[in-house]
Amino acid sequence: MNVIEIKNLTKTYGKARGISDISFSVEEGEIFGFIGPNGAGKSTTIRTLLSLIYPTSGSATIFGKDTVQFAPEIKKEIGYLPSEVFYYDNMKVKDLLNYSASFYKKDCSKRIRELAEIMDLDLNKKIDDLSLGNKKKVGIVQGLLHEPKLIILDEPTSGLDPLMQQKFFELLEEENRKGATILFSSHILTEVQRLCNRVAIIKEGKIVTVEKISTLKENTYKKFKVETKSTLDPNYFNLAGVNKLEVKDNLTSFLFKGNINEVMRKIADIEITNLWIEEPDLEEIFMHYYEKEA
Amino acid sequence: MNILLHELKAYRKSTIIWTISLIMVVALFMSFYPSFTKDTEEFRKLLEGYPAALREAFGINLDNFFSILGFYCYGLSFVTLCGAIQAMNLGTSIVSKEVREKTADFLLTKPVTRTTVLTNKLLAALISIILTNIVYLAAATLLAYQVATEDFNVSIFILLSLTVLFVQLIFLALGIIISVIVQKIKSVLTVSLATVFAFYFLGMFSSTSGEEAKRYLSPFKYFDTAYIIEKSSYEASFLIIGGIVMILAVGASYFIYAKKDIHSV
Repeated sequence: MNVIEIKNLTKTYGKARGISDISFSVEEGEIFGFIGPNGAGKSTTIRTLLSLIYPTSGSATIFGKDTVQFAPEIKKEIGYLPSEVFYYDNMKVKDLLNYSASFYKKDCSKRIRELAEIMDLDLNKKIDDLSLGNKKKVGIVQGLLHEPKLIILDEPTSGLDPLMQQKFFELLEEENRKGATILFSSHILTEVQRLCNRVAIIKEGKIVTVEKISTLKENTYKKFKVETKSTLDPNYFNLAGVNKLEVKDNLTSFLFKGNINEVMRKIADIEITNLWIEEPDLEEIFMHYYEKEA
Repeated sequence: MNILLHELKAYRKSTIIWTISLIMVVALFMSFYPSFTKDTEEFRKLLEGYPAALREAFGINLDNFFSILGFYCYGLSFVTLCGAIQAMNLGTSIVSKEVREKTADFLLTKPVTRTTVLTNKLLAALISIILTNIVYLAAATLLAYQVATEDFNVSIFILLSLTVLFVQLIFLALGIIISVIVQKIKSVLTVSLATVFAFYFLGMFSSTSGEEAKRYLSPFKYFDTAYIIEKSSYEASFLIIGGIVMILAVGASYFIYAKKDIHSV
């Protein structure tokens, strides 16, 4: 079942770019990454899903219901954490969380205490006095306290130290195990790589590709580095699918996409002293998509 | 209900401060009354020396200026001015506060409709204003009894005082529509002071020209105190206009707010 289904969603603001013709869906129980640089349209898409802004054309459904028409109903089961959290300053953390909980028709007090403990958050402080990272924690607890079925995160990690980030990811994975679907928007690829099953890459308001992280990696280049006793003839690895060949003294390096056996046979024929075959990280794949389109 | 309570809590401090301010303004005026009545004739001569237009502009009516009710009316115009600023502040901040403090994301991703949000915020503002008026009315009546040298008609006194509430309601409605239309209001006070004073001066000029029709331009002139004292009632046409302004402004606000894009800032 698809928890989120976006169909030809378009949002334009006057002349400024919004998003155009975005379609993808998020399945139940997935951690879905939504990546792209700042200004590519991630927030616009998410804000449309939450009906904070309304689409120019196209539509989206969450839990099978139209996001505009059934907004309040859908939101009962959504937890949202915006990239910048600002809350009513004159309140204590506890009061704000209770205010947030009062919108959901269930007792969240136990969950608030649990989450605060995990995130190491002092409930009795005034929000005014909190650091950016601690405000973020308030945001996280606020987004998760009603145990939502869908968690939408818009660049959630800024301001969190690595330790807290780790705890936060564990928390998300735990929620996911319990059945929550997660839409995770980010421009930091390592965190997407660490957490997500599938990703949508967005560029200048358009979806470039939607792929499984594993497929994304399979379908791309592998990095080869071959060390030999003597300098190799640069033409030795002149195969289809070889790119960026570089020969530097005894070290030959190139990128390869295609049947890996062909390269392996070539390598087997020569005397080598060392060999590295590396998966490109997501960053490189991502750059690849961006360069290709540019 | 939770939004209403939260909003009321947020308004508590400002409501108390405004209520005290209104009472202080009226107390200051009323404290002059005993010395005024002592030298009635001298004052009358002095005021007669001023051009009639100026007297009109400041709402000084020589026929009843020296009765407690007439004197109260003079002070009341300043109370109304302050009250209008309070109401305008409340109205303007209803939506803009959420945008400025970036809490709109928090509130509007909760399972509530925008109509519910606006209704609760509106109710909270309304309750603040009504509470202000109840306390003000009690204090003003008490003060009037303290300084009055002769009997006066309490029901007229109450009718006069209630004009503060009506003017406030109109400005509350104006404030809401502004806060819904304008994308981002940096300073609520600037907007509300500018609007309120614009209407105040518009009212002053319209009364110097003496044309009846121009009174419709400024809510400050919807309630003619001399008329109220004479007839012990309000002028129906202005009540209706005031009501229409409010309904239109509030109705349009609901409509616009429901359709509006809430941008991240």
